[in-house]
Amino acid sequence: MNTVSFFRILVSLACMLPALPAHAHHILGKPAYNSGGENSGTPPSMQVETQIGDYLVNMMVFPAFPKPGVQGRLHLYAARLDNGQSYQGKVTFKVRDDAWFASEAEVLGTHEIDDKVYRQGFVFSKAGNYIATAEFQAEGQPYIVDLPLQVGEPTSLMPIGVAVGAIIFVLVGVRVAQRRRRTHPKGKRQHEAARGEA
Amino acid sequence: MSFSSPMNWDWLLLPAEGMMVHPGMPAGWVEMVLAAMLLMVAWAIWIPVRAGHPHNSLSLAHLPVIGPVVRKILIMPWLLLVLRIVVAAIFMLTIYAGLFGTPLPERNLATMLTWTIWWSGLVGAIFFVGSAWCAICPWNSLSTWLVRRRLWRRGSETASLGLRVPKVLRSVWPALLMFVGLSWLELGFGVTVSPYATALLALLMVVLATVSLAVFERKAFCRYFCPVGRTIGFYSELSPVALRPIDPDVCASCTTLECYHGTADVEPCPTHLVMGRIKQNTYCISCDACSRSCPHQNVAWRLRNVGEEIIQAVHTRWDEAWFILGLLALTSFHGMTMLPAWERWMSVLAWTIGDSGQLLWSFSISMSVSLLIPVALFALLALLTQQMIATKPEYSRVFSALALSALPLAFVYHLSHNLGHLVRESRGMGQVILNPLGTNTQPLDGAEINARHMLPLIQQNAIFALQAGLLLFGFWMAVRILRHRITRVLPQGQAATGRQIMPALTFIVAITLYNLWLLMQPMTMRMCFTTP
Repeated sequence: MNTVSFFRILVSLACMLPALPAHAHHILGKPAYNSGGENSGTPPSMQVETQIGDYLVNMMVFPAFPKPGVQGRLHLYAARLDNGQSYQGKVTFKVRDDAWFASEAEVLGTHEIDDKVYRQGFVFSKAGNYIATAEFQAEGQPYIVDLPLQVGEPTSLMPIGVAVGAIIFVLVGVRVAQRRRRTHPKGKRQHEAARGEA
Repeated sequence: MSFSSPMNWDWLLLPAEGMMVHPGMPAGWVEMVLAAMLLMVAWAIWIPVRAGHPHNSLSLAHLPVIGPVVRKILIMPWLLLVLRIVVAAIFMLTIYAGLFGTPLPERNLATMLTWTIWWSGLVGAIFFVGSAWCAICPWNSLSTWLVRRRLWRRGSETASLGLRVPKVLRSVWPALLMFVGLSWLELGFGVTVSPYATALLALLMVVLATVSLAVFERKAFCRYFCPVGRTIGFYSELSPVALRPIDPDVCASCTTLECYHGTADVEPCPTHLVMGRIKQNTYCISCDACSRSCPHQNVAWRLRNVGEEIIQAVHTRWDEAWFILGLLALTSFHGMTMLPAWERWMSVLAWTIGDSGQLLWSFSISMSVSLLIPVALFALLALLTQQMIATKPEYSRVFSALALSALPLAFVYHLSHNLGHLVRESRGMGQVILNPLGTNTQPLDGAEINARHMLPLIQQNAIFALQAGLLLFGFWMAVRILRHRITRVLPQGQAATGRQIMPALTFIVAITLYNLWLLMQPMTMRMCFTTP
């Protein structure tokens, strides 16, 4: 590779950088545990703090790891990034299964601001992985914040199933291909050559 | 021992108010590093390179007492097999803990063992045992057992399709792309703080290794695709230990090449190496197939001078040079994301470009720029070097030869950074081993956070001394490599002038100063989310 083509690659890479996304106001939060600190009166929570559109949004779930049949609650704080003023409109809370083919989201309730916080209570009857969603409209644009929620101790057999399935699929595929090779004249020669090498 | 400094370096420190951070290297150590660097630069410019550099090495098989033991160990299949089974069992327990254990990363074996112990300790281990990890790597072991259906003897060749890897993939570009991807997942997506995601990543690597083994000949995954294996391979060029012929003359007269072809019982070299011609450690995965297949028992661990291989023997291809530079850029980027100011920078960038949510676009842009800057700087300085040589050698030759000097810089920063995590955040590992799933555990309490923050496993000043020493060692190695390697692109017999090494030396100084600045900064704690 000569110098000119090398720098052509560098310039092309640099040109790709400004390919920025459209304003997407739907986010999936990366939750973090917050004990509230030793001297804090706030109970432990799982929270997501994120920058979304013109707002800094903080969504919390109490307790951090809710159990089936036990009352929990969601809190949402939304403040403008430029002046720190709280959002004043209504916020709708929803919940759905955290699965690829999940059913429709269930609306938990719509709330107005109460002392700078939007509050929503909930009780889950079954253990599982859920997505709690808070939705609001500001300046004509929808804002949607998702918070993954683990209720109880759900089993996670699916990743193992997918991995084992993929491996079995490949191994069976290889076996079938090898069988075809052996029966095909050209493949037969290759197979015998491979055996000879072994 | 601690150094106090009359100078005030505080203006170089980024603010870390309200964050739980590890303290950075104090000014006294920084000044010591700077003074030593200055001396080394003067030495590099004014003292000419001596020709006929001595090549010292010693086969462990020749040592009086341990020699016979080493020979015996290397031909015993069961010892390595036991180690592989143990490591694979721990690996599967890690996946189980990640999928079914507590989501608290500091209480779960998956995150603690993978990121705090293994990933942090691995780089240090390379220095002492070279690429030995690859020999017991669970991705490799599990995929081999699944595809070849043999625990240790040579499996059937027909268990795999045995296709040749397409020419376009026969390089370390796939491994580099995988490494960039893994770093993005680790730092941008937060895999390190999610036991579940860590388990998914582990499963993914097993699937990839298995598919590769089932489809391609030998161990294509280890040679071309594995980002960890290639990182180990390049770093192990600096290691003082390597598998080599005991007597090179025996290999020179060998015509059967069992190390390459294997025997009825032993696999051929998984990465297509011939022991008699091996000059560099890059692709050796220390699997011991060569030592077991050699009819002359002529393969053993050899001790050599640190960095000797890279100074004398290594031949670097264009893709390998890029991998080394990628490694350098990624390790420094790693440090940058743990600066207390990082989140604020991300927030400002996100606000500027209208990014939302997990700020993945902001992160991706920052990562791309952070990777491009050192590489572009190096490319420019390599061009300058090329222009300073009267014969105008091919640019790719200059680029590849000089890139080797970046390897020790990446290695020592990687080591220094990981050392901080290892000695501070591995506290509490005992509890995690006793309760790998973290059943009924609570998040770190104030005392535990404080212990991780204030009471590292070794004294604070010992950490700083080690970090300063490592940085200097890397700088010294980089300068030595530069002085020797640049002669490879000069006309035969010509020694490099101070002016000719100046551009690449500038790069080495700039990167070391940047890494030193990173080490001076307070570093955010990884698995500690509790608000202080």
